[in-house]
Amino acid sequence: MKIAVCIKRVPDMDVRFKIAPIGNAVDEAGLKFDINDFDSWAVEAALQIKDKDSATEVVIVSLGSDSVQETIRKALAMGADRGVELKVARIPFDGLAIAHALAAELKGGGFDLILFGKQSADSSNGAVGAMVGELLGLPVVTAISKLELAGATGSAKREIEGGQEFVEFPLPAVLTIDQGLNTARYPALKGIMAAKKKPLDVRPAQLGEQSVSVTKMELPPERPAGRIIGEGASAVPELVGLLQTEAKVL
Amino acid sequence: MANVFAFAETRNGELRKIGLEAVTAARKIADETGGKVDAFIAGAPGVGAHAEQLAKYGADTVIVVEHAGLEKYNPEALAATVAERIRGGAYRIAIFPTSALGSDLAPRVAAKLGVGLVTDVTAVNLDGDAVIVQHPVNIGKVMATVKMTSQPALIGIRPNMFTPVENPRAGAVERAEPVGDPSASRVVVKEVKLGSSAKLDLGEAPVIVSGGRGLKGPENFKLLEDLAAAFGNAAIGATRVVTDEGWRPHSDQIGQTGRLVSPQLYVAVGISGAIQHLAGMRTSRTIVAINKDKEAPIFKIADYGIVGDLFEIVPVLTAAVKEAKSHG
Amino acid sequence: MTVGHGIFILIVVLSLSFFSYNAQRLVRYMMSIGQPENRTDHPLTRIKNLFIIGLAQKKILRDAVAGPLHASVFWGFVVLTIGTAEIIVQGLFPGFTYAAILPVPLYEFYILSQELFAVLVLAAVAVLLYRRIVVKPKRLQGDKVHSGDAILILSMIGALMVSLITLGAFGFALHPDSSTIFQPVSLALSHVFGGLSAGTLEAGRETSWWFHALLILVFLNYLPYSKHLHVLTSLPNTYLANTSGPGVKGAMSYMDLEAEGAEQFGASDVTQLGWKSLLDSYSCTECGRCTAVCPANITGKLLSPRKIMINTRQRLMELAPLATGDFGEFEHHTLVAGEGGDAGDASASAALGNTLLDNYITEEELWACTSCRACVEECPVSIDQLDIINELRRDLVLMESRFPPEIQPAFESLEKNGSPWAFDPGDRAKWAEGMDIPTMAEMVERGERPEVLFWVGCMGSFDDRAKKIAVAFARVLQAAKVKFAILGQEEKCNGDPARRMGNEYLYQMLARDNIETLDRYGVETIVTNCPHCFHQIGNEYPQLGGNYEVIHHSTYIEKLMDENRLPLNGEGKALTVAYHDSCYLGRYNGIYEAPRETMKRALPMMTLVEPPRNRSKGLCCGAGGGRMWMEETVGKRINVERTEELLATGADVLAVACPFCMTMIGDGVKSQGSSVPVLDISEVIAQQLGNQS
Repeated sequence: MKIAVCIKRVPDMDVRFKIAPIGNAVDEAGLKFDINDFDSWAVEAALQIKDKDSATEVVIVSLGSDSVQETIRKALAMGADRGVELKVARIPFDGLAIAHALAAELKGGGFDLILFGKQSADSSNGAVGAMVGELLGLPVVTAISKLELAGATGSAKREIEGGQEFVEFPLPAVLTIDQGLNTARYPALKGIMAAKKKPLDVRPAQLGEQSVSVTKMELPPERPAGRIIGEGASAVPELVGLLQTEAKVL
Repeated sequence: MANVFAFAETRNGELRKIGLEAVTAARKIADETGGKVDAFIAGAPGVGAHAEQLAKYGADTVIVVEHAGLEKYNPEALAATVAERIRGGAYRIAIFPTSALGSDLAPRVAAKLGVGLVTDVTAVNLDGDAVIVQHPVNIGKVMATVKMTSQPALIGIRPNMFTPVENPRAGAVERAEPVGDPSASRVVVKEVKLGSSAKLDLGEAPVIVSGGRGLKGPENFKLLEDLAAAFGNAAIGATRVVTDEGWRPHSDQIGQTGRLVSPQLYVAVGISGAIQHLAGMRTSRTIVAINKDKEAPIFKIADYGIVGDLFEIVPVLTAAVKEAKSHG
Repeated sequence: MTVGHGIFILIVVLSLSFFSYNAQRLVRYMMSIGQPENRTDHPLTRIKNLFIIGLAQKKILRDAVAGPLHASVFWGFVVLTIGTAEIIVQGLFPGFTYAAILPVPLYEFYILSQELFAVLVLAAVAVLLYRRIVVKPKRLQGDKVHSGDAILILSMIGALMVSLITLGAFGFALHPDSSTIFQPVSLALSHVFGGLSAGTLEAGRETSWWFHALLILVFLNYLPYSKHLHVLTSLPNTYLANTSGPGVKGAMSYMDLEAEGAEQFGASDVTQLGWKSLLDSYSCTECGRCTAVCPANITGKLLSPRKIMINTRQRLMELAPLATGDFGEFEHHTLVAGEGGDAGDASASAALGNTLLDNYITEEELWACTSCRACVEECPVSIDQLDIINELRRDLVLMESRFPPEIQPAFESLEKNGSPWAFDPGDRAKWAEGMDIPTMAEMVERGERPEVLFWVGCMGSFDDRAKKIAVAFARVLQAAKVKFAILGQEEKCNGDPARRMGNEYLYQMLARDNIETLDRYGVETIVTNCPHCFHQIGNEYPQLGGNYEVIHHSTYIEKLMDENRLPLNGEGKALTVAYHDSCYLGRYNGIYEAPRETMKRALPMMTLVEPPRNRSKGLCCGAGGGRMWMEETVGKRINVERTEELLATGADVLAVACPFCMTMIGDGVKSQGSSVPVLDISEVIAQQLGNQS
């Protein structure tokens, strides 16, 4: 089986972000980057298939500058076989442009499965995977939390609001992976050393036209210091009121 | 003149609230330039009955596609149909929900049409030929202003941001056929399981009610179950202390060695706020804490805190939430 | 030459040959299977240990009952060996006796020593047999220990002593003029034999002699097959034990991750352990003292340090004969107790396919360890059980990525954020807000240098309770007018959690970053309130080129008190305080008194009460070895076990000197529904700051 997994290099989300002077991007000084969480689960899904059938080839594809090579190597350290960097100066925000570049690379690759993470932690549109499937004319199932393959067909579970959907699809197919399918394996040192020798090709990305762009980035108003609104059950009405009007969660 | 297309999501033949939100958002945009709102609804025969509701909230026209093959979500048939309809309609914006269905459907449509898509949109405005949207990035820590220039621009709206507002319009029904044969779709939804039997997953639940040592014993988690039921869409979490004692299953543990969650609302009951627990829930949008110790570290991270006896407070809160929800 | 003489010579030659064969076989197994190691450093310390731990039986005597009993047998053994030599030489050269070469008083002293020690050993053996067979103490059970082996050996020793005495008794009865009061017991017994015929006496004497001589040779040759091999290996084992000097002896072994062609990191089998670990396995007497003090074992976990050693020897003896070609393709049977794999594993191919990890020692055992070093501290023959546990953990993590899933977020966070918790590294110095504490960067910019760098650590930076300790200690430093700085956001986790959990790669990444930062600022002296930071930076960073003087805050505060730099108000209530010894401060670094002393000096009215297990016998709080990040699902919680003991002292306050202990004991106190405060020593002292009124 031949599986492609498309991954994105995203900043570590555990920090407080600052806006870069340019105004429409986050200041990258001091940021640590890593593979997008959802994408690591997609890599894991591919590797679990490979665990069962060692003849499986897992190819990692990532769009970005040369800095994504570190991220691709991490996926290789987890156990993937080879990687491809589609080189751009900056990763665009427009998902369709990214999808065009990925589709151009994946077309004709003979992949039985093309896996994506459901969405990226940074741009968070959750669109590229399904777009690539559509551009390649392949069946697409998004946000799967359970996967079973049987020869040329597959079945998946999708978490929907307040329930689950069970879907069947033929191979080859494009799948986007949601939380809960698996936990990504931690690369052993042995894998990290082996990854250094695995092939990683670099090609220019063929981005499509871009019609979506970020004009400004801002920090939302600071989370105000928590306040104790009262004591005892008598404070409940005020709490509920605040949840409705201020927090808008009720 | 901006014409707007609004996709009204249905489930099991029922119109979902976000469908009305889409129409409301569409109406607001259309009214800015004297344009029209076309709502789109598809499903099994009979789904067209919701056209009236859609008209009440502002649809000038309701496109109804009824077909047995659309009873369950049929991504390929729906994407083809919606794309075709949008293509012929000279729309400025096409509004979809940001939901399991919407986030599956909208990208397909965008790719078919070769136009731009931004999901999880919290605000939308027109600016000349462009559409400007607000879209949270970096797990909500940064807000991006995004300019879209394609015609149309596809957006997926975030639930609960565009409160439905009644704004009656003609709502003329236009029947349409699905594009292609729905039964020829490659991706087939075989079964849908809904309801309380499917326990809400901590990672998905918009609201989490969580209990700590303060509950004193497993039987007292009944209080939290009642509160969760009042919210209707809440899952129940626990601290490590509680799962270690065996009061709740390990899969309920939120924290460094348990689940990392990011719900809209996190209600921490009887939880002191040890570092390992905070590491698991601090990215929650709104945090409420109830604890009898006003020095408890949880109050430093909570947006709203109530100091006092949880055994008194929680039942009162449950009743108040139930009341608020029944009006919503 | 008589027939008897000839036969004896033959027997001696055969026995010694067989023994030499086995001895060289065992040494060859150890050296060819085990990895190379250098144990030639610090010869003077090693000789000192040989005398104090080996010959003077210092660790053996830690057990108040079995200690003196064993010491008696050991010293007896040493002394009686002189007599044994006489007997063997007598057999080879009939008529030989020390009387011929020693001056009379010395000879009389010699025979008296033999007599007294024979009786002492016999008495001790009798008590030990009674202990084994009747009393059955808990630590002598379990782990499939070879009790039969023990009883056999004790019986043999007893028989040797009896035969020695009867030898003397029959001799005196036969030749009354040779009797001497310097062999009082033999003399007394000889009177009992007085009525027997000369022939019987002669037979009795000959029998005693032959029995004794042959039993010695049998005993000698039994050793390689028995847990009593320690008789031969324990003194060398003590000499060769981990000692790179005080403190550093607790350091984990250096691992060169860049080594050319390095393919194996850590150990999954005996072939990847150092030869010293294999010598350790030869030396294990299965006494169970290590297991009896292991906090995991005490609270019901599967881990038993003794089992680790027994398994290592079993695995070595299963693999070595095949790997070195000694038994080739023959069916490999369990020969005697201690040799070969578990009973039943007979085939050679099965043996070759086995590994120490999984086939003998399970993951569950390995992850239960808190690295408290109680086992190492307790072992009378200086075995390092922790070495083996650490090497197996390294294999699990570095080679196989097999570890409790709940620690993966800690690894990932260490890699991303430089701390084991998902907190913003930018918040590291928040605890110091408003305290006017400069960072190194700020100080250097002003062109100044601090007296010491206060290394805060991740707990002090991010944990709400531990932040208060950092504040308290900072106040102490400020009251003493110490010019200090912190690294602030430039500080990263010292790497101890990663290293202890087996992730050497991640550890070295963190350590090298810290060393680079420290060297960049030219830091020389560091003070820290966390024993893990203290041990890691002071004792293990030198392996990677980071050399700093690191002082724990208890020692530093003591120094400040000595220099009269700390203004204390000398007031305070008459509290009783129980101090909980931190493992990384205590057993790892020998610091037991400074925390106690500093509290007593700050709080003169205080009374110190000690829990039963204190100082080097202190029970771990349960957080070390990376266990702070692991679930504890089996048995009793270690921290509860320790807290119960501390609360039972009735102390008003529990004092700790480590932020991990603070968390664990604090949780323990809460779980007991108690409200006894748990304070760090710096908090106790900070409360006493001020000027004498």
